[in-house]
Amino acid sequence: MNVQSAATRPFSRRNFLGLTAAAASVPLLAACGGGSATQGGGGGAGGTVKFWDMPWATPAYNDSAKKIAEGFAGANNAKANYQIIQWNNFYQTFSSAIASKTGPAVSTGGGFQAFQFEQQGQIAYADKVIEKLKSNGQFDDFLPGVLDPFKSDKGYVAVPWQLDMRVFWYRKSLFEKANVALPTDWPSLLEAGKALKKLGAFGFATGAGSGNNYGNHSMIMMMVNNGGGVWNKDGELDLLNDRNVEAIEFVRELVSNGIVDPAAVSYTTDNMSAQWKDGKAGFGLFQVNVPQRVGDTSGDLLVADPITGPHGDKATIVFPNNIMMYKNTPSQDASEEFLVYYLGQLKELWKQKLMSALPVFKSITELPEFADDPNNVKIVKDWQPIAKTFAAQGSTLNANLAALDGGQALNQFSQSILTGQAPDAKTALQTFQSGLESVLKK
Amino acid sequence: MSSTTATSGLSRARRGLAPGGSGASPGRKSKLSAQTTRTFFWLLLPSVVLLVLIHGYPLIHAAVQATHDGDLLQTGNFVGGENFASVLSSPAFWKAAQFTLWFTIVGVFGSWLVGLGLALLLRTKIPAGNTFKVLLLLPWVVPIVVSSTAWNWLVATPDSLIPSIFRGLGFGTPLFLADPTLASITVMVFKVWVSFPFMMMMISAALASVDTTVYEAASMDGASKWQQFTQITLPLIARSTYISWILMTIFCVNDFPTIYLLTGGGPVSATTSLVVLAYRTVFQDFATGPGVAIAFLMTMTLVVISVILYRQIRKSSVE
Repeated sequence: MNVQSAATRPFSRRNFLGLTAAAASVPLLAACGGGSATQGGGGGAGGTVKFWDMPWATPAYNDSAKKIAEGFAGANNAKANYQIIQWNNFYQTFSSAIASKTGPAVSTGGGFQAFQFEQQGQIAYADKVIEKLKSNGQFDDFLPGVLDPFKSDKGYVAVPWQLDMRVFWYRKSLFEKANVALPTDWPSLLEAGKALKKLGAFGFATGAGSGNNYGNHSMIMMMVNNGGGVWNKDGELDLLNDRNVEAIEFVRELVSNGIVDPAAVSYTTDNMSAQWKDGKAGFGLFQVNVPQRVGDTSGDLLVADPITGPHGDKATIVFPNNIMMYKNTPSQDASEEFLVYYLGQLKELWKQKLMSALPVFKSITELPEFADDPNNVKIVKDWQPIAKTFAAQGSTLNANLAALDGGQALNQFSQSILTGQAPDAKTALQTFQSGLESVLKK
Repeated sequence: MSSTTATSGLSRARRGLAPGGSGASPGRKSKLSAQTTRTFFWLLLPSVVLLVLIHGYPLIHAAVQATHDGDLLQTGNFVGGENFASVLSSPAFWKAAQFTLWFTIVGVFGSWLVGLGLALLLRTKIPAGNTFKVLLLLPWVVPIVVSSTAWNWLVATPDSLIPSIFRGLGFGTPLFLADPTLASITVMVFKVWVSFPFMMMMISAALASVDTTVYEAASMDGASKWQQFTQITLPLIARSTYISWILMTIFCVNDFPTIYLLTGGGPVSATTSLVVLAYRTVFQDFATGPGVAIAFLMTMTLVVISVILYRQIRKSSVE
């Protein structure tokens, strides 16, 4: 028998195929192995709470938030790790991660994201967190009304941590130059707009270009300011109510009088900021901290008083950004403990002046770092109490609002109004309602 | 010669074997073929498995989503072709399809014409030709986020550079991104600007392989420059041209960032292409089924266009 040693034996096709199969199986086995490593992935290994956060402000914000999160030391050696999730395709990022059980245990995110994932059975209710906040005194520190929109029949879907307010700003020097009074109601808004137009400035600054939702928000704000809203008190679509029609007719009047920048429909938020900085925007809806955002801290940019609608209504809109907990967690107790801890540390973010939003806690609004800015004080005093959510005229947030905010129906509607393409308010609202109905979950 | 030898010789001749050659019996040959097939099969299997995992699984998953009414997390109920029917009966879809068609036509042929012109120009002996070649590649090389931001600042507001120039020349103040028609044109011009370097490189490579003696012979035969261009240059670069058209068609139809970063698909859907519509339907309206259905329809259209152009390539190769 001719016996060859393994070393000298020719490399047969069978051997080659065997080796190939083995090599090919490595990534497959590795992939299978990866599953076990991330099992129960909501928190990772060893009671570590995975906290996902968005870039809410400059990178300094995320650095600070990371420091806070990683400073968590809970019971049973529970810890937290911090991960930034970019806004681009964030919903897909969360969805994919949650579907593959590798998502966070706790996260910030889109304003209505908690309700979307609640609908899909992925959210852990925050009732125990609220109980703990009651016992440690933080519950009473919430600004009035900020917690209510998160209470569903089954419990608290999330806990708010900052308020993204929409308020009117104005450039003082332009009003002085135009020798016109600040608007207090719709007729005076129209008059001020006409006066500013003579100076080449715009009295209803907004924008609806790529990624810019201020145009959408301006439309809804004007409806809400007139006692209307997208929904009725029972949460049903109610776009064609008389108050909405009246509000949108008024916006059309502003457009037709040249009080809205004809290029506003294409403005990104950066374009809008540039218009404010360059003195082209005299009055308009924007966020908190506009001087810092546009780079003009000369004191010429100020928060205006809320204006009164023709029926005496006075309101604006607010997006209560929130922190949510997911069912996929290494320990629900650790998630809750982390959330209570994190809410208790929020003041650090405002102390360092990192936020472009209002805090939800009264104690933070009283911090000198926050209260030193008279614009902040005015927003808390005059605007926060009249702020309503996108759910107006209803009060409770829900998953459908995600399809409204940033959805195609609202975007088309706003752009059709801003370009003057809409033949009349009722037709535009009718189209808006039909578009929204087609995408809302039945 | 015996009859056996003659038969054997004919048989060998039919099999194409020389006298005295050993050859293999038909049985042996078919056995080898089967083994070879099996070997090929096993060799290909790992790649096929990986391809199926990488491409097949998402495709199947997408097909499932397109036929269900779920979302990104849950499959939902089976609705058959309802999503396709609703998409095909939607005016928004046809408006987006129309824009996609124009965007693709202008994107493909506009960039090809500019690329061809520059490739021909760079073929001539001009000073610093290679430097120009590198500079002309910049629109293709620069990240689209950067170039779209630059274009935005050039045209977005009435006081931006380009509207200011128009105003200075007495053409009023065109709203390049706010007027629906102008926005469509701006997006298409932007696409041509971004894409012409690719075309220029493809055509330059094809032109480099054309033998210059062909032109010398044509000149001697009295062919004009135009005749040389239409009768020699274009036919000789036809294969490369068709390939670049196929690729650019795919680039244009699937182009999301160029449009989305500049206009977001607006104003009032004027620049919404099918891929932007699919994105917005899935990620802004959260209507996964219809959004994926749009993507499927796009894919099928692209396959048909690619097959047609591929046939043209084969035809030009034969010619």
